[in-house]
Formats: sequence, C-alpha cells, structure tokens
Amino acid sequence: MPSLIRLLAKRLGTSLIVLIGVSLLIFAIARVIPGDPARIALGPNATAEAIAALRDRLHLDQSFLTQYGYFLADLVRGDLGTSLYTNRPVTSDIAQFLPATLELVIIAGLMMVAFGLPLGILSARHRGTFIDHAIRMVTLLGVSAPGFVWAVILMLVFAYFLPLFPIAGRISDSFTIPPVSGFLLIDTLLAGNIRAFGNAAWHIVLPAFALALSGIGQAARLVRSNMVETYDKPYIEMAQSYGFAEKRIARRYAFRPSLIPSLTIIGLDFAAMLGNAFLVEAVFAWPGLSRYGVAVILRKDLNAIVGTVLIMSALFLIVNIVVDLLVSIINPRIRLSQRAS
Amino acid sequence: MKTIMKMLAAALLTASSVHGLAAAETVLRLDEAPVGELDPAKASDYADSILIFNVYDALVIPKQGQPGYDPHLAASWEVEGTAYTFKLRTNVKFQSGNPLTADDVVFSFERMKALGSGLSYLFENVDKVEAIDAATVRFTLKQPYSPFISALTRLPVVDKKLVLEHLGNGDGEMKDWGQGFLSANAAGTGAYKVVSHNPQEETVMSKNAGYFLGVPAKAPDTVRMRYGLEAATVRTLISQGEHDISSQWLPPEVLKSLAADGAQLLTERGTTGFYIKMNTAKPPFDDAECRLAVSYAFDYESGVKIVAINDKVSQGSPATGAIPVGMLGALPQDNVLKRDVEKAKEHLAKCKYRPEEMNVELSWIGEVPLEERFALLMQANFAEIGIKAEVKKLPWALFSEQVSKPENTPNISQLFVNTLTGDPDTLLYGMYHSSAAGTWQAPEYLKDAEVDALLDKGRAEQSDDGRAKIYQDLGKRLLTVTPSIFAQDQTAVFAASNRVSVPALTDPAKAFPLAGFGFNFRLMEMKE
Repeated sequence: MPSLIRLLAKRLGTSLIVLIGVSLLIFAIARVIPGDPARIALGPNATAEAIAALRDRLHLDQSFLTQYGYFLADLVRGDLGTSLYTNRPVTSDIAQFLPATLELVIIAGLMMVAFGLPLGILSARHRGTFIDHAIRMVTLLGVSAPGFVWAVILMLVFAYFLPLFPIAGRISDSFTIPPVSGFLLIDTLLAGNIRAFGNAAWHIVLPAFALALSGIGQAARLVRSNMVETYDKPYIEMAQSYGFAEKRIARRYAFRPSLIPSLTIIGLDFAAMLGNAFLVEAVFAWPGLSRYGVAVILRKDLNAIVGTVLIMSALFLIVNIVVDLLVSIINPRIRLSQRAS
Repeated sequence: MKTIMKMLAAALLTASSVHGLAAAETVLRLDEAPVGELDPAKASDYADSILIFNVYDALVIPKQGQPGYDPHLAASWEVEGTAYTFKLRTNVKFQSGNPLTADDVVFSFERMKALGSGLSYLFENVDKVEAIDAATVRFTLKQPYSPFISALTRLPVVDKKLVLEHLGNGDGEMKDWGQGFLSANAAGTGAYKVVSHNPQEETVMSKNAGYFLGVPAKAPDTVRMRYGLEAATVRTLISQGEHDISSQWLPPEVLKSLAADGAQLLTERGTTGFYIKMNTAKPPFDDAECRLAVSYAFDYESGVKIVAINDKVSQGSPATGAIPVGMLGALPQDNVLKRDVEKAKEHLAKCKYRPEEMNVELSWIGEVPLEERFALLMQANFAEIGIKAEVKKLPWALFSEQVSKPENTPNISQLFVNTLTGDPDTLLYGMYHSSAAGTWQAPEYLKDAEVDALLDKGRAEQSDDGRAKIYQDLGKRLLTVTPSIFAQDQTAVFAASNRVSVPALTDPAKAFPLAGFGFNFRLMEMKE
C-alpha cells in the first residue's frame, strides 16, 4: 500500500474514534447546560402537559445511555433530529447554514495564505530593515485583536466612513439566486449572473478579511521566524557563496523547509476560524453555521447543538488530515518515517 | 493572473453600481431579536407578534387611540352569560383563496389548545368552541372571564383546509397539526403574505392584494424583517439608509447617536412595566417592612435617567404602581412613585432582620444587559440604608429553572412584563395570584388573600368602570404589600429612518394598547 494511502487510512480511523468521543462528550455536555429544553422550546407560558409531552417525545426523562442509543440509531439513518429553535430537521438547517460559513472561512483561509505567506517571506528576506519592522508591527496588530474587533473597525472604516463595501448580508436584496450548492460565489456563476457574482464577492470581502486578519498576522510571523532560523543554516550560506540569486535562495532553500511548521499552524488556524466565525457572522449578519451554533446553545436545542458540534468537529478533523497529507507530500521523510514505524 | 484580476474588478464595479439602483417597489426593512416564530399557535414574543399581526387576523382588534376592542374577522358579537357568539364577515378569504368559515376559527382554537405552547394559556377558561353555522361561531367559557375578548386578539385564525393538506408526521388524526408546514409557511388572511422565512436571517413579506380591508398604496410593497442584528450593524445600516426600523433592544447610547444623526424615534407606551421582583418566600423579603424599605430606597428618577435617550424620549417613564399609566385601572398619573430615604429607614427599623445581617442577591438576566445598570443602581441605593447587596448575572434558561423553587429563587429578579392582550388581568394575574407562584413571571411567590380576591373579582366583573375600580384597588393593595418595586413603565423606543411614517408609533391618538400591534405594516407609509 502506498505510504500516502496508509497515512490517510490511519488518520481516517483515528478521526472516526475522535468523532465518536466528541459525540458522546457533547451529548453529555448539552444535557448539563442549565434549563429545561422543552420549556425553553415551548415558551415561558407553555402548559405543564405540553412540556411533559415534548420531554417524552425527546426521551428526556429516560437514562442518558438510552437517549444516546436513540441518537445513534437516528444518526445511522442520517437523522440528527429536529431543531427546537427553527422547527426544522437539523440536517436541513446544517445544509442551509454550513455553506455560508464554509464560503466565508475558505475565502478567509485563502486571504490568510495569500497575504500571510508573502508578508512573512518579505519580512524574513529584509530582516532587520524598515520593511521587516513595518511588517512585524502590522502583523502584531493583526494577531493582537480578535476577529470581531476587526469586524467592527473594518465596518466603521470601509462601510460607514468610506462606504466602499456593504454592511451586512451575503448579497444585495435585488438578486434572487436559486440555491444549488449553497455557496453564493458558485451559485451565482452557475446561474450565469456575473453581476450577482460580483455582488456576492463584494459582500464577502470585509467579513472574510476581518476573520483572516489574525491568521494573516500569525502566518506571516511564523513564516518569518522559521525562515530567519533557516537563513542561519550552513546550506544557505553555501548557496550564497555560490552566488545564487537572493530570490532563489529565499524561495527554494529558506522558504520550503520553513513551510512545514507554518503549514501545520495555518491548518489549525483555518480550522479554528470555523468557531471564531461566530462574532464576525454576528457583526456582518452573515447567516452561517457558527451563528446558528451559538443560538442553539443559548436555547438549549439539544439536537441542533450535537449536530452542529459534530459537523464542526468533522470539518476540523478533515482540515487536519489535509494538512497532514500536505506536510507529508512536502516532506517525504514524514511519510517514510510513518512506514518505518 | 492580470486578466482574472481585471474580471474580478469589473464584476465588483458592476456590483457596486447595481447596489445603488433602487427598485421601484417600496421596501421596509426592520429587525427584531432572533427568531421570528411563524406558527400562530406558538408565537408569543415581540418578534412573533409582529409577524402574526401582519400575516394573520383575529376575530377582534384593539381600538386605535382608546381602550377597548372592535370586531375584525367578526362582524359583531353577542354575550349571554358565559357564551360569546360571533358572526363572521362573509367577504374574507385566506391568502390561499379559501373562504373564511366558522370551522377555521374552531380549528385554530383546537390547534392552539392541542399544542399547548405560545399563548394557549390565555384560553384555559374556554370550555368549548362550536361552529353554529358557516358564519357563526360560539365560545362557551367555564366561568365568567371578562378579559376573554382581549384574549381573542391572540387567537390568529388559520386556514384549516390548507393546513390539513400539509399535515406532517405525527400521532393521531391530526398528526403534527401542521407544525412543520406552519413553521415556514403562512395560512392566514393577513394583509401581508410570507415570501420566504429563514429563521436565522429574515422573513420576507409582500402585500396581499386580496386583503379584505385593502392595503393602501403607500404601505410598503415588501417587508424584510431581519433577525439578530448586532447593535453596531443596525447603527451603521440606518446611518447608510439601508435599514428602516430598529428593534427596541438597542442600547440607549446607540438610539441617542442615531437620533443625533437625524433618525426619528418611534415609541410604544402603556403596555409594559419594568418590575423589580422580591422573593417573599425567603429572608429578608418575607417581611413586608423590608420590602417597603427597599422600595422607598430605590431611586426611581435615576432609573428613568439611565434609559433616557434625550431630553424628550426615554425608554422608561415614572410608574404609579403595578399597572402602566394608560392601561385600564392604572393609578393616577400625578402620583408617581418617588424615592424617600427617610421612609426607607423607618421601615427598615421595623423589619425583623437587621441590615447588617442581610446580603441581598440582586440578579439580572444575562440576555438583557440594561438590567445590570439597574442592579448596580439598586446596589448603591440599598447601601445608603445599610443593606449589602451582591449583583449576580443569570442567563434566562437558568433563571426560568431556578424560579420553580422558592429557595433557589434570587432575592431580587428583574423583569419586563407586557400585557400581551392589553388587559390588566393578563399582566397581573400571572404575576401576583398565589396560583401563579413559581412561574417566570412570579418569582415573588406572593400569597395574599386580598390580592387573590381582587384578581378573581376583576375577571368576573363585566363593566369597564367596575373593572377599573377593582384594578385601582388592586394597585393600592400591591403598593401596600409591595411584592415588587414598580420601577418604571417601559417605553419601547425604535430608531427609524425618515423614509417611513408610522402613525401608530408616533401619534398617541392612533396608538394601539397592545404591544407590537403598532407594527401593522398596512398602516405604515413609505415616503419614496
């Protein structure tokens, strides 16, 4: 079996175990949040009979293990239950809200790579100069403030004082795009509506940038520090003594080895953005899964909490697997050492 | 790469130019707290009420600018003892095209009772509902219950035929009673139809051209009701002309800055009170003298200033007692409650607990940050008479669980309570009748025979004058036993752009004595 496939199989196996553990944990945690989910769902003036009936329907009066058994049996059928918050199947809610979050996070991730890596390389190449200091200061600012602070600042500057970008939502009200994938940037293209595509892209710039800023700063600083360390290696000195172009040294000999630790952290940052997206989604009224996740936790919507956390965990694990694979592709020693072990 | 960048730039430019083009139709954009419940049998809060009042109709509606109720889907009604017989209008059709019949009214009632959520508790006194003929429906009550007509404002009539065509999975003949269908679709006669409903994002509604009362041309063609917008987002949207009416949950500072930018302030009064509720079932507030002491120590005037937006508008006005000024049975407006530290000290001296022994737990609901300010105000006020108090934040879910047992209920809880029907019975019975103790509205655990008797009398008395007298007596009794500090009458304040005119929220002569009814989109006018 090729080493990459073996690595993938191993990661998938461990991820499945992690997912089962997460489901058990979140199933238990959701049930210890204060408040009776039936009472919260039916409203403060609901009759005792209606509350009892709903508790019965949700199996809330049965033992934890029995409840978990019902959950697993439904899960096997692809049924995550009904949300008490939206009165719809949790799977429908996730299918509706997840693409909005994924679209936001993917664009933010691309921004993180597109801005973070070049800034890090530039800073390392010009270490100790004004450029380096300026980049380090800017990236420090990015790291030091959370996404929602940037969201408010960016909204004030670029949507209020300089009304260059829209304030809220995914697309202007004047467009009606039939949902196909749920990703507006794709659906607008599928609909052949270039104006709608531009509008959707215009809407995503500020929220994605707000979400990405911290990651951009972290990626740039990480790449810089790793590259600066690499620059002290003898093989760089040798390349310089051979008279190789500085660009070539930076790209081929300094950047590549420093990419591996950076990639791992970027992967983790990318996954973390799924959770951090909540406040950015709240500020920009972005109808995503992170916002939905917080809303269902506040309403103690058991099925929706478990469903949302499971999906988030699965995405987190997928991102980690992708990062592991990328790292092993970049550095064959990793997958070879796996085989040896 | 350059080509891609050029294409992207072109698309962005096109998009920005499209943004500037306003459609010919008028669009009203407003926001509310998450989430708008579209099912009329489950709707209960403010956002739900706005939806229901526009998408559905009831047999009666509140009179504009004065107390009382007018027939609406009903053409008239007669009362004989405990039987209320309604003649229905014959020209009303549901949005589906189905005609309104007495069967629809019976079905709407039965559905609400069967689901047992939302405001179904308002109809506990109804014994049976029968369709006498296609245009006549009779409600028979178990006992005299004079607030019944007001309760009917909260019984939206649903299209039975349409719902039966969309029953989902469930047990029994009525399966899920159409819950799945009605959580995302409308089945009403209302002036506005639901175009789309995304519970996390927005509900889009459009005019119902076939509405039996007609929809004026100046009323908004489309309404986009958004959910869960952040204060900063609403602030920016209104300033940029991209939003029309805010929710009432904006902090006073945001409302103030919007008003300073030229936004108009809409107000709704006389439906809601702000109550600081004392747990009378445990020390120190099991002693009425202690309750009187803190009620005199509370700085009512500063409380109103805390929520003031400018010199003219505040989110609160001085209270005269348990019933907000303007509602049936309210105590005279010139008798507002005031702070009196000397009296507070006198009552404290008569209290069986010594102030140094007290450590009052002052709770505030986590979802209502404004209450923290009142908690801090009380902490300072109580300290002046020597009572130590500890401020504690409680999420709503935890609060509603804790109040079910008196020993777990905080010494002080803060609640905004509205009448839901416009009648003082709906406001007070659930708070102060001994049978209500331990519900979210009644963390006082008040057990007072005189209060109980007056509340029951208020239900049995039929004449408005007689009821006004009973509720005034009740108000005086509540000031004596002081289960709550009647901190202020709440004024719901909404910031609005100048594109919209809302007479029901600006002109007291056109206001409705029912929370949320002012958001009748049919009665609004768009200015462009």
